[in-house]
Amino acid sequence: MNKYILSKKLYRNELATFYSFLIGFLIALAVGSLILFIQEKNPFDVFSLMLKLSIGSVNSLSNSLNKAIPLILAGLGISIINSVKLWNIGAEGQIFMGAIALNFVYINTSINNSQIYILLLLVSGFLGGAFCIFFPAITKVLFGVNEIITTLLTNYIVFGLTIYLINGAWKDPASLNFPAAAYVSESVYLPTVLGKLSSGFLICILFTLIAYYIKDKSVFGYEMRIAGGSELTAIYAGISAKQKAFFAMLIGGGFAGLAGAIELLSQTHRVSTGISQGFGYTAIIVAAITGMRPIGIFLVGCLFGALTIGGSVIQTIGVSSYIAEIIQATTLFGALVAQFFFSYEILKKDEND
Amino acid sequence: MIDVQLMGLLNATLQAATLLFIAALGELITEKSGILNLGVEGMISVGAVSGFITAINTESLFLAVIVGVLSASAFSSIHAFVTVVLKQDQTVSGLILTILGLSLSSLIGKPYVGKKLEVKLESLIDIAEPSNIFQVLLSQNLIFYIAILLMIFTAYILKKTMFGRRIEAIGEDLKSADSMGLKIAKTQFIATCVGGAFAGLSGVYLTLSYVPYWTDGMTSGRGWIALALVIFGGWKPYRTAFGALLFGFLEALGPRLQTYGFEMSPYIVKITPYIITILVLVFLTIIKNGNTGAPKNIGIPFFRENR
Repeated sequence: MNKYILSKKLYRNELATFYSFLIGFLIALAVGSLILFIQEKNPFDVFSLMLKLSIGSVNSLSNSLNKAIPLILAGLGISIINSVKLWNIGAEGQIFMGAIALNFVYINTSINNSQIYILLLLVSGFLGGAFCIFFPAITKVLFGVNEIITTLLTNYIVFGLTIYLINGAWKDPASLNFPAAAYVSESVYLPTVLGKLSSGFLICILFTLIAYYIKDKSVFGYEMRIAGGSELTAIYAGISAKQKAFFAMLIGGGFAGLAGAIELLSQTHRVSTGISQGFGYTAIIVAAITGMRPIGIFLVGCLFGALTIGGSVIQTIGVSSYIAEIIQATTLFGALVAQFFFSYEILKKDEND
Repeated sequence: MIDVQLMGLLNATLQAATLLFIAALGELITEKSGILNLGVEGMISVGAVSGFITAINTESLFLAVIVGVLSASAFSSIHAFVTVVLKQDQTVSGLILTILGLSLSSLIGKPYVGKKLEVKLESLIDIAEPSNIFQVLLSQNLIFYIAILLMIFTAYILKKTMFGRRIEAIGEDLKSADSMGLKIAKTQFIATCVGGAFAGLSGVYLTLSYVPYWTDGMTSGRGWIALALVIFGGWKPYRTAFGALLFGFLEALGPRLQTYGFEMSPYIVKITPYIITILVLVFLTIIKNGNTGAPKNIGIPFFRENR
């Protein structure tokens, strides 16, 4: 009846993920063009303006890379957690929690040496992110509670907590119409390294390497892969799958919390609802599109950071910034479509079969 | 006086529950066929915005409901195509469906933010101040009754008809279903699109009745609560309805706590439904010892090995 059958390819091209990404990106640009076309805008003009204003000068390039920092760090966190085949949809909340924890420590301590103080604040951001995922993690390993739903719902709780704090206990009397916490002292700002580029980007490079090491080179990473792969193998190898899952989740949450801390110390300088603008969700796309590879996350994170900046600047010519988000999401859908053709082949059925 | 307050609470409970329940019921059907669709939030949003835009431009509620339902269903077919036809990861695809749905509806809804709806889904029988349960039930709008019919209908189809048994067979045991000659891809594709249509109806209820205006992110996590509801209901329509009433009650109770004499920050009140959802989910998973009654093949793409 069916003349064609589907067959899994024996060999999968090593660069399949990369090619899929490129194809996906082209598909997304085509979809983006179509939307712009419907809105009676010239896609070529809009895209070239986006390109110019996101990577055209040192200033715009550094803006783009600054935006990439939270995407990369949260993406790395998601990829570490995915080593044990679990999902972290709560990076958005963990970013906010990182900033909240930082501010909490900042208010309650005082250290004269600003370098040590910055380090302490960054560590508290990391711990804040880890704290944020603690409940989903402990209920996952102890009782098997669906971590996708618990981490996602945590986002709404932490966002509500942020609004509660900046309207109440932490409210800066000077912030009237746009409630926010008080600014941190200038002595703890993260210094810039080039143009507007924050030194947070260097931390980001360091953590990309750390994530690469943890995932691909360390014993812990190896054990995580086994724990995520097969329960029986893990038991046979004497690996506690639950313990690995628990620590993977805490570390991954910490990465996202660190992103919030860096965002506070380098961009917003205070706790506000602007700490994250959906970075935690975009990070899911960044992580998934690279097949959870840290180096890939770093590169795609930079690209998506530029896209986000490009999306926000084209608002000045009356184009919605949502175009950038739609391109990002469609890239992943396009990549999924392309992945199919790298993993399967359609064969003609043999008549004698 | 107490009675009027209580009836107000009951009314708000029913409305909040209807919204959650329709989306959850759709997801239940999809998941029964073995497809996990995490895109509920995005699909509700697409249905909500397209229904709202249609209502503003045509002033026809009937057309608005149809457009909302069909566009969300068409939108869910992206997920069906990627996971059923192309056999890609259901978690990834569903998540992106949510992200894409939210940004897409923000894009097309932008010119409509703050616009007032001239037509609104009115209750069938207008009762200004319902004083007993029957009056509250009677004063609901059409979608509430449709939701009840859908519940009975879905429960019947899943349990008593061949089509329903096929869906369940596919969700439970792909290999046996395949050797029985069931059309797996077709069934899963349909189940996913039906789930999308239900989410669209829930979205239409949101913008045409529950809060009759459009603003960004107004679904505010309801799609995810609906996903939790499916687990809560153990993949059974009636139990899911009970869960929806419970969650709807909690959502309705929050803003009213102050009138009952509880001093609570409104910001904290807002996050209670999410906290309670998590706690209920944890409690439920513990008492069922991890065995929630999920379809066994959920999330596993079907691929017939070469023989």
